[in-house]
Amino acid sequence: MKIQIKGVSKHYYSEGKTIKALDEVDLTIPANQIFTLLGPSGCGKTTLLRCIVGLEAPDAGEISIGDEVVWSSKKGIFVPTEKRGLGMVFQTYAIWPHMNVYDNVAYPLQTQKLPKEEIRRKVEKTLRFVQLEGFERRPATKISGGQQQRVALARALVAEPKVILFDEPLSNLDAKLREETRKEIRTFLSELKITAVYVTHDRIEALALSDIIAVMRSGQIIEIGSPKKIYFDADHRFVADFIGRANLIKAVVKSQQDDKTIIDSEIGTLTCQKREFPVGSEVTLCIRPEFINLKKGEGVDGQNIVNGRIETLVFIGDAYEGEIRVRNEHLMARIEPETSLNEGDTVSFSVSPDHCLLVSV
Amino acid sequence: MMKKRSRLTFTLIIIVGFLTVCPVIMLVFGSFSKGLSVFGTFTLEKYIAAYTDPEFAEIIINTVVFVVGASTVATGLALFLAYLNNRTDIPFKFIFKIISITPMMIPHILFSVSWVLLLNPSNGLINLVLKQVFALENSPLNIYSLWGMILVEGLLDMPIAYLIIAPAMASFDVALEESSRVCGAGTSRTLARITLPVLRPAILAAFILCIVRCMASFAVPSVIGMPGRIYVLATHIYQTISIGFAVDYGKAAAIGMSVLVTSIILIFLYRYLTSESEKYVTISSRGYRPTVIELKKAKIPLFFILGLLSFIFIVLPVLVLFYISLVPYSMVPSARAFSMMSWRHWIAVLKDPISLLSLKNSLFLGVFGATLGVILSIFVAYTIVKVRTKASGILESLSFLSFSFPGIVIGVGFMWFFVRTPIYATIWALLIGYIATYLPYGIRPLTSAFVQIHSHLEESSMVCGARPFTTMRRIVIPLLVPGIVSGWILMATMFVRELSLSVVLSRPGTEVLAVQILRFAGDGLWGRLSALGIIMIFISTVLVVLATLIGAKLKPVEGEDKGALVQNLVG
Repeated sequence: MKIQIKGVSKHYYSEGKTIKALDEVDLTIPANQIFTLLGPSGCGKTTLLRCIVGLEAPDAGEISIGDEVVWSSKKGIFVPTEKRGLGMVFQTYAIWPHMNVYDNVAYPLQTQKLPKEEIRRKVEKTLRFVQLEGFERRPATKISGGQQQRVALARALVAEPKVILFDEPLSNLDAKLREETRKEIRTFLSELKITAVYVTHDRIEALALSDIIAVMRSGQIIEIGSPKKIYFDADHRFVADFIGRANLIKAVVKSQQDDKTIIDSEIGTLTCQKREFPVGSEVTLCIRPEFINLKKGEGVDGQNIVNGRIETLVFIGDAYEGEIRVRNEHLMARIEPETSLNEGDTVSFSVSPDHCLLVSV
Repeated sequence: MMKKRSRLTFTLIIIVGFLTVCPVIMLVFGSFSKGLSVFGTFTLEKYIAAYTDPEFAEIIINTVVFVVGASTVATGLALFLAYLNNRTDIPFKFIFKIISITPMMIPHILFSVSWVLLLNPSNGLINLVLKQVFALENSPLNIYSLWGMILVEGLLDMPIAYLIIAPAMASFDVALEESSRVCGAGTSRTLARITLPVLRPAILAAFILCIVRCMASFAVPSVIGMPGRIYVLATHIYQTISIGFAVDYGKAAAIGMSVLVTSIILIFLYRYLTSESEKYVTISSRGYRPTVIELKKAKIPLFFILGLLSFIFIVLPVLVLFYISLVPYSMVPSARAFSMMSWRHWIAVLKDPISLLSLKNSLFLGVFGATLGVILSIFVAYTIVKVRTKASGILESLSFLSFSFPGIVIGVGFMWFFVRTPIYATIWALLIGYIATYLPYGIRPLTSAFVQIHSHLEESSMVCGARPFTTMRRIVIPLLVPGIVSGWILMATMFVRELSLSVVLSRPGTEVLAVQILRFAGDGLWGRLSALGIIMIFISTVLVVLATLIGAKLKPVEGEDKGALVQNLVG
């Protein structure tokens, strides 16, 4: 089911100051896709999710799920949460500690007053789906964090909602389990025809899980796009910086060619992705560390060759993290773990114009 | 949803405001009005009469000495016990932890009476023994003195101070101490320079709460102070309204105003300090384990001190009462005394219609009053914790207000309030007064229970399609059971033993246990008093046990903290 959000605003008052949690957000979440709201903490992503599910009422705007308007300040519509028929996985999982696994999962069906037999059948099916068969009678607090997470998922799915919402569901798991669960959620969701709205501040989670990512900052949606578009071709400096590690360098547009833009910067004159900036305007050049391929010695002439010196080299396991000094600029670079390079070496690298991203200042 | 919530908040503000503000307003009006009614002609007469009384200076001095003395004793003892229990390797810690708070369960009036029975100059048991052993002419010890009052009140208020200081001590970030040790300071220097200063807000808060309690205390001043002609403000007010022919409620109100205003100021200071101490000390989320300090040589002597204290607290009062209830008059335990034992006092009590009536009334107030009080507390605690608007902040302050109410003062306010209504001199007057005065005891455990219910637990129920009522029934209430049980137990035990409010509001036909005990004490019927007192302790214990059993039956929450009741008492 499609979710449409039109001009939704929400303000908080805290210590005499007004905080815009949501600032006239317009957004269409397409049906049957995994849609991620990504942003730093306090950007309004959770507030937006809670407005969709109805746990919070916006100050202005309209929200519709499918064809039904669930909130409208103008028309005075407020469909309470329990009548919206959604599923949600909370950050804390919100597993009810006084019930066992079965009762937790059966709860949404019991509220619908379904026959006992049907409830049993559906709960069993859902528990099988999340690989928790045989856990029915366990007290919900006596299972591991990852299992609780799956109980929460089962509870959100059992009533077969058209939309499922996730509020940072992995942030309470340790790193290894988080990775596994992330893959599981991806698998579960791709098997179902369901619209999923996923809130996170973790860029890797967002990239790995989503069909579409919307990056938010201070109550506004900055940019929407596929994970690859957001990672490689971001339009905004904030998005480019937030979605991955990035070297951000001040630059000035020198000239525009058919399919390339040429810039001048502290690290030299470089050919970059085509962006419609006027000649002479100030821009930011973004190069990700993994696209800097270092070679020993000064580089021979060619496109986008940059010379520098390794200042520091830190071993971090799967790679070295190098800091390269190019004139007055310091760049981060990712270097293969079996490198023969040393601190103090003179090095050169070339970057493909496709990986030289230009964003606004 | 929002509208419903603000309507609930509004209704609760009206109910709680009615319960807490009304008596205060009546008291203020009454103190300024001529004649016996509240809305008489405006006058300052009552204040002038009250505060120019030649005896007043002495009463104030007595009150200050009594209150400060008893609070110091209580806080000092509590600090000592809390330190030993939390931070040292004293043996049998578990038992001592329970013992430190058990005196809360012993009704103050009985505790005072048992000390009178032990230490009164004419036939106190300890005095009788000392006279025999050392062949003395006169009794060496006299409980009917300021010292006696301070000691007994100090012992009675110790658990309250303990319940504030012990958690602060337990959640103390041990790294603060360890870094002091690393800097070269020894155990005692660290204690003096680091531990105690960091705990200062908690200690001060405990001291202030003790002061409020001592000012409101009526049992000790009436049972111990009055026979020794040592009057403090509480007994002075009592005297003004119940003794002699010229009963003057206006004057009592005028005196009471100073007690009430001081209490309210102190209680808000207390609240400020406890929030400060939380800021100060709670760095406890990290997994830590306080280093246990080895007592070495001091271990055995300290153990005996603790043992003696627990004996004084629990065993002695009950033992004395039981003994006195069986012997015909106060005598040193001896073969002769044991041969003369009989159940005659018990039979006399059980045949006394007023005692039986008071038993019935107290039981009704305990069971029914606590139930009503807890239901109100559930709604108030819900609004305070979960709604969190400006209005719910007002509600919190209102409900906190009655924490500072000295029973006898507020009783006068209630009396005026009820006198114009048909419930005057009925048991319902007592019921309403009790709930108003002891509301914080129900709200406290329930707010902490609500705090533990993460809002996600309710919200996920709503997302699952449950209506608010279903969410309440299936999620909130079951998770609240421990809080409900401890709130009910606290209120029920407080109601069964209630004295200071009852001495003002109780009328013929609405006698309650504590008032009847006070009457026996006045008449010197120690045997009957003891028998009735033990019945009172028995009823409280039965109520506690029953409530705990029912609570356990209603699906306990996994990993429920057994100490929750204790932690919830005062916080």
